[in-house]
Amino acid sequence: VKRFNGRPLIGGRVQGAPLCSSRAFTFAHGVDPETGNVTDVRSDMLGKNVKGTVLYYPFGKGSTTASAWFLEAVRLDNAPVAILTSSVDLAAVIGSVLADEIYGRKIPVIAGLPLGADKVLSSSSLAHVDGTNGEVNLD
Amino acid sequence: LYLDKAQEDLLRGEGGEAKQFAMEILAKVGDAVGADSLVPIVSAHVLAHFSSLHQAGVEVLERFAKSGGRFSVPTTVDPASIDLRNWEGFGIKEDYARMQFRLCEAYAKLGGIQCWTCVQYQVCNFPKAGEVVAWAESSSVVFANSVIGCRSNKITSGTDIAGAILGLTPRFGMLLDENRKAQVKYSADFGEFDDLDYRSLGYYIGKTAGSRLPGLAGLPSDVSSDQVKHLGAAAASSGPVTMVHLPGITPGSKTATKSTETMETVHVSRADLQAVEEDLNQTEESPDLVALGVPHLSVNELGLLAKGLQGRKLKGSVRMFVYTSRQASEMADRSGITADIESSGARITADTDAEISPLKEMGFNVVMTNSAKLAEIVSSEGEIKMRYAPIKKIIEETTRK
Repeated sequence: VKRFNGRPLIGGRVQGAPLCSSRAFTFAHGVDPETGNVTDVRSDMLGKNVKGTVLYYPFGKGSTTASAWFLEAVRLDNAPVAILTSSVDLAAVIGSVLADEIYGRKIPVIAGLPLGADKVLSSSSLAHVDGTNGEVNLD
Repeated sequence: LYLDKAQEDLLRGEGGEAKQFAMEILAKVGDAVGADSLVPIVSAHVLAHFSSLHQAGVEVLERFAKSGGRFSVPTTVDPASIDLRNWEGFGIKEDYARMQFRLCEAYAKLGGIQCWTCVQYQVCNFPKAGEVVAWAESSSVVFANSVIGCRSNKITSGTDIAGAILGLTPRFGMLLDENRKAQVKYSADFGEFDDLDYRSLGYYIGKTAGSRLPGLAGLPSDVSSDQVKHLGAAAASSGPVTMVHLPGITPGSKTATKSTETMETVHVSRADLQAVEEDLNQTEESPDLVALGVPHLSVNELGLLAKGLQGRKLKGSVRMFVYTSRQASEMADRSGITADIESSGARITADTDAEISPLKEMGFNVVMTNSAKLAEIVSSEGEIKMRYAPIKKIIEETTRK
């Protein structure tokens, strides 16, 4: 079993299959909220689907609207179950706060994972996320 | 994050539901970014366009409005996803327009200023150096920090409305002196600048600076505020840039220039700009739309465009949309500039902008622009092919005498 200890930003306990990027990522124009498919042609996750995954990317990029795109994916039930990053991505934090308030969905967010965490995460089939203490355990 | 007594009361709901929700958002953000407190702002700039906010964003804004939320500081708004007066004439479907108008209604109820522009600093929102603002719209944040010398973080959608309601923002990032110093110096060493070079240079800086704050030397001494606006917009579109130190322009930039002498210097060559052009120019196909004005053109830029289009007509079925604020478009009407531009067959459109309007649904497949920001956003989605070229080439290719 492998484990990461990150910085807990939004609480909640979930599990899901890891989906990882080694590049900067944004939901804005990067994920189709109606399908959950990654559509950003510059993403190494292009063509993958974020629904139900434990999503890791090192840091956010681009538009300040990413939180809204993320929230729309939540509304349409195509969102990841948890978001893990290295640098804090405010889009994930705000999107998750709004998801709880508007749609009653808890999506834990943890920052502070080491850069390169994608290599470890992607070799695992299931990640257990505890957003309250910042722990990620891998099967 | 320290909250004072009044802020704690709001968090407990003593100021009503809207302020409680707003305080929850700011407190979470403040905690996440390691802010020590919430500080007052002199203005807010928020987002209320349907293409990004989607139905979920409509529901958020309506929740704030219905639960009694009111903006407590002067608040301006980014462009809408449709031309608010002439949307039918631009081929927008009614269902789509209705969602945008729901956002407009909620925004009006919250007490926002009806400007619908991404260059609020050229139209209706004028902070002075040293003041703290909370602006969404990444390009305006770069302008605020780099040219005006006021202080803003890049405010994420959701936090923008919360900050405008409370008149507060978490104190972190660009609000702190220690984070406003250049950490990497760029030197523009490629000689003459055309309109595209400002955008390509900005894009290159955004792409390569990472989380370091860039300084930039080598701009022409007569660089205009409009040219800096486009440079900053491009930088913010390709990376996390919130400020570019521009010696001689940025208030207090003298000291930053001195400190840049000991840091890494990146020399930007013509080849670097060409690489950007190749990245953003995805095809050589003829465009079916020319889109100018991401960010919005000023009335001065509209005047320059009118000169460039003088005596020319659009070729074949190609369209040309020129995006600006309603204020600039009305000034252009009164100055005869609109008539000059539209005699070429181009159309001026206000209150909206290309990157947030449904270009695909409007029937466009190949779009030509000199905006690196538009090219980056649209090409990321992969549905529309982008042409990226200087205005001279655009006019030569798409119009005739």
